[in-house]
Amino acid sequence: MNRKLFVASSIGAALAACSPIGTALNNNDGVHRVLGSAEGLNHLLIGTRGMAREYRDADVDTQFRINGFDTPTDARYAGYRADAFSSYRLIVDGAVENRLAFTLPHLEKIAQQTQITRHDCVEGWSAIGKWSGVRLSDVLDLARPNEGAKYVVFRCLDVDPQGTPYYESLDMQQARHPQALLALRLNGKPLDPDHGAPVRLRVPTQLGYKSAKWVQRIEVVSSLGTIYGGGGGYWEDQGYQWYAGI
Amino acid sequence: MMKPAVHRYSLVTRLAHWVWLVAFLVLVSSGLQIFNAAPYLDASDKSNPARRVLSIDSPSDGAGTTTLFGRTVTTTGWLGWTDDGMGGRGARGFPGWLTIPAEQNLADGRRWHLFFGWIASICWVAWVISGLIKGTIQKMILRPSDLGKLWPMQAYYLKLRKEPPPYDTYNPLQKAAYTTIGFVIAPLVVLSGLALSPGVDAMAQPLTWLFGGRQFARLWHFVGMFLLIGFLFVHVFQVATQGFLNQMRTMITGWYRPGEHERSET
Repeated sequence: MNRKLFVASSIGAALAACSPIGTALNNNDGVHRVLGSAEGLNHLLIGTRGMAREYRDADVDTQFRINGFDTPTDARYAGYRADAFSSYRLIVDGAVENRLAFTLPHLEKIAQQTQITRHDCVEGWSAIGKWSGVRLSDVLDLARPNEGAKYVVFRCLDVDPQGTPYYESLDMQQARHPQALLALRLNGKPLDPDHGAPVRLRVPTQLGYKSAKWVQRIEVVSSLGTIYGGGGGYWEDQGYQWYAGI
Repeated sequence: MMKPAVHRYSLVTRLAHWVWLVAFLVLVSSGLQIFNAAPYLDASDKSNPARRVLSIDSPSDGAGTTTLFGRTVTTTGWLGWTDDGMGGRGARGFPGWLTIPAEQNLADGRRWHLFFGWIASICWVAWVISGLIKGTIQKMILRPSDLGKLWPMQAYYLKLRKEPPPYDTYNPLQKAAYTTIGFVIAPLVVLSGLALSPGVDAMAQPLTWLFGGRQFARLWHFVGMFLLIGFLFVHVFQVATQGFLNQMRTMITGWYRPGEHERSET
């Protein structure tokens, strides 16, 4: 009667064989591409539909968890901090009819939107914040993207330890989503440096890495292929999915 | 005397069975990789340490602990401080020998998981459609009229009864097991996985709400995995005790040889 032993050892062996086989296959480019094909299906079927849930004031995390890279410490960002971001400009350019450079007071004069939404990190945790700022769609309306423009790229002030800057991108549908926000305030106060001051993106319908912090420049483009690794974002260039709805 | 072999499983069922086995093993090991990026589970919508059900930690270098419902046990070497998948040890939820890939790599774990999630789901839909057309699913679903036969069947297995209650293709306990696993738990595992995704939450807010929120959906997803692993153990045990080679051959070729099991047992 070694059946129980047989069962336990066969399942254990199957599970233990999984990791080395999977790890070996993981390094194969063809396998990597095939596995990545699920992203297209997710984008097609889930896509950008509906609205992220909005919460009440009581649900807000007063100490909103700090995510992403370390707060920039370079001379440029130190300069912005020193003059309370008065020398900061949010640039909007690329394939647009009307290139723009917003000061913070400028951005504050555009209609302000507030959302209390949940930030879902790809790691698995979630936090709720009250975000106020300008609808990305309103800024795009002012810049008037050209006909063939497909993507909106966000270039940021933070860099990784190797010096590669953070960036992100959305397609036009995602960028025009009513909850896609250029946030200036968190929980009623101007963004602090650790939360992406002076301007961060909020995309509550996708995972947190899409919500780029320390946004400096918004560039409208027709293709993502020539920008950095071509994946459409810093983490996308490291193998994460560009479509981050799942 | 040997009875003629009977054709028991269709090609779709056999294919689905083996594809599910591979997909399930990959989903478990890539799922543990994903879990390791935030090795704790909360019974809440947003993360909330006050409602933490499970937490795997490394309180100091060389030490691993697991806390379940507030009770902490030392699990050094197994959980919390364990195989880092690169030949050493480090602070890590589940050990590298259980994850795909072995080293900490959330991006690639997600690639495997999201791909095989589709494989398993598409396979399930194909199997259900084909089974409904052929009428095999209808025979498998537990019906109210079967409920009264569950205990007599169990009593028969426990040798408290000489004869099993009358049944058609599947006995009432088999029906209960297949219905629970195939039509309740497996779909709930897929749905809870979808529910913890922000895009799905936006598209179908009631789904995430029904699971108790995003973190709760993550908890249900994990609990569902354990129930499916439990089923796998019972299932393989039954195969091992009911004529292992005959059962394996049937699930590969489709043909079952009645009586062989009894012969081989004597």
